[in-house]
Amino acid sequence: MDKGYIENGFIVDVSNANKTSEIIYELSRILDLPDAQSKKVCLKLGSVNLTSTELTSIKALVESMNSEIEFISTSSDETVKSAEDLNIKVSFLENKVPTPEFNADQEKVNRELEKALDKIFGDESSDIKTFAQEEDLKKLKEELPSEDVEKVANIKPEAITPEHQMETIDNAEVETSEKVENISANTSDEIKEELENFNSQLENANKIEGEDLEDVDFNLDDLRKSLRETEKLPTLYIQRTLRSGQSITSDGNIVIIGDVNPGSEIIAKGDITVWGILGGIAHAGSAGNQYARIRALKMNAIQLRIADVFARRPDNINIPYIQKTDTFVPEEACIRKKQIIIHKIHES
Amino acid sequence: MSGRVIVITSGKGGVGKTTTNANIGTALAKAGKKVVMIDTDLGLRNLDLLLGLENRIVYTIVDVVEERCKLKQALVKDKKNPNLCLLAAAQTRDKSAVTEEQLKDICEKLKKDFDFILVDCPAGIEQGFQNAVAGASEAIVVTTPEMSAVRDADRIIGLLESKEEIKSYKLLLNRVRPNLIKSNDMMSVDDVVEILSADLIGIIPEDTGIITSTNKGEPIVNDEKSLAGKAYNNVARRIIGEDVPFLDLEEPKGVMAKLKKFFSGLTGKEK
Repeated sequence: MDKGYIENGFIVDVSNANKTSEIIYELSRILDLPDAQSKKVCLKLGSVNLTSTELTSIKALVESMNSEIEFISTSSDETVKSAEDLNIKVSFLENKVPTPEFNADQEKVNRELEKALDKIFGDESSDIKTFAQEEDLKKLKEELPSEDVEKVANIKPEAITPEHQMETIDNAEVETSEKVENISANTSDEIKEELENFNSQLENANKIEGEDLEDVDFNLDDLRKSLRETEKLPTLYIQRTLRSGQSITSDGNIVIIGDVNPGSEIIAKGDITVWGILGGIAHAGSAGNQYARIRALKMNAIQLRIADVFARRPDNINIPYIQKTDTFVPEEACIRKKQIIIHKIHES
Repeated sequence: MSGRVIVITSGKGGVGKTTTNANIGTALAKAGKKVVMIDTDLGLRNLDLLLGLENRIVYTIVDVVEERCKLKQALVKDKKNPNLCLLAAAQTRDKSAVTEEQLKDICEKLKKDFDFILVDCPAGIEQGFQNAVAGASEAIVVTTPEMSAVRDADRIIGLLESKEEIKSYKLLLNRVRPNLIKSNDMMSVDDVVEILSADLIGIIPEDTGIITSTNKGEPIVNDEKSLAGKAYNNVARRIIGEDVPFLDLEEPKGVMAKLKKFFSGLTGKEK
């Protein structure tokens, strides 16, 4: 448990549920997954008051699936009391799961998402953003104002030396919380400028290091830190095809070996990797991680969402179904310039 | 503004409820009416596919009911016609996620802003049907000239008659094949009307264009040449209140037939 997650177990977050029926619905749905059986369950309850009878029925449900409740976390005193009657451990989960700093900004993420949605659905005249394909990337690069080229020249000497980078990474651990605040406090213009600077800086870094960092956005230090945070998150591993109507939500990363058919959805706080055709809705970094990625052997998603950025399949692409072929070119979606782009995963 | 709430139902599956809904909705919107379509087929939604709006759906009717978003946010605007909106069904939930009262409430709210609220009903007579019918005051019963579909339509009409809220219901005969009727291999329009003793609002001919239009996500009423598209347009006009004669479904074949038709038109024999 020191690792921040439960060994041979997982966390079920039902803190949004207000009724016992909702908890049972959610629980039975999750426990029904083949991967969830015979494992320890940690139940994250919200402020809901549960009597010992209700808790007994929940416990029985979990046990009927060959799983057992490891401990529960709750903010209600009544539930704590009933749990003590039943000899169920009560614990405070919040302290044990590493919550990346960007989690704190959930409200902002919601607001941004709403804004983005208003833009898309509220106003007919505005252009709707669709996935940017690799060719579009080149256009995006060309759009950079010429002034930035001079700035690049200024930045160059600092960015090159590897030692310097090592330093910044070490510092990052201490400073990140401040940085996150800074980013959220910045006005959009400033962010844009920062971005453009950074992107040109990156292009330079690529040339020298020869590392594949083309798709990195915002801040290298933040990215490195974020990658480590994502590694620490628990990963849900599913080996079957996700069919229409099925939905999987996780506090960590999700790996699916199989196809994700249209009509299904995957929501993860970390990364999403699909070893198959991604045809449904995927939302990575649902708690606000801008650096979350969605990878798939074939990207045919109806909608992609990363943190608060939203993109949908272009209307002119009209593929009722994807033919399964022997060769796939794996693709990856990430955020670049506040827009979701899809690019091929190159060999490195 | 007080809109008309029309439920499109059939009992039997696969007779063309959703296709009818998409096409009538589009035709009404083209005629300048403000239209919203509600898909109540939770868990098996299709209406968004037929309209080509699948990639735009973010919030669904369940999100509205469970107050995760405002009703206005959940309305997806059509690609071409700003008068047309869709309230999509949730794909990851089942029929019990929405109750009759909640649907009634949504219809009441939408009535204020729209001329027409078209409710797409799921197949069957269970909870999904009860939900869909709850908010409606008019109904269109879709059936095909097949015995099984007609039986189910009869059952549905019986259920609709027992509902006080449904003031009127009309019959829409779908997938009619004039050739088969002629050779006595298919029930004729008159037969169906006689069995069901209900008013007819439209006859839609079988059209292979429907298949392509469904796959493309483009309602067939947008295709000027299609006979089915014309028929759906006429249904929409009849709903608005215009008096439109039924289409002559018999496709003239060859020059002689065309001439024949021309002359019969001149002498006024055409029905």
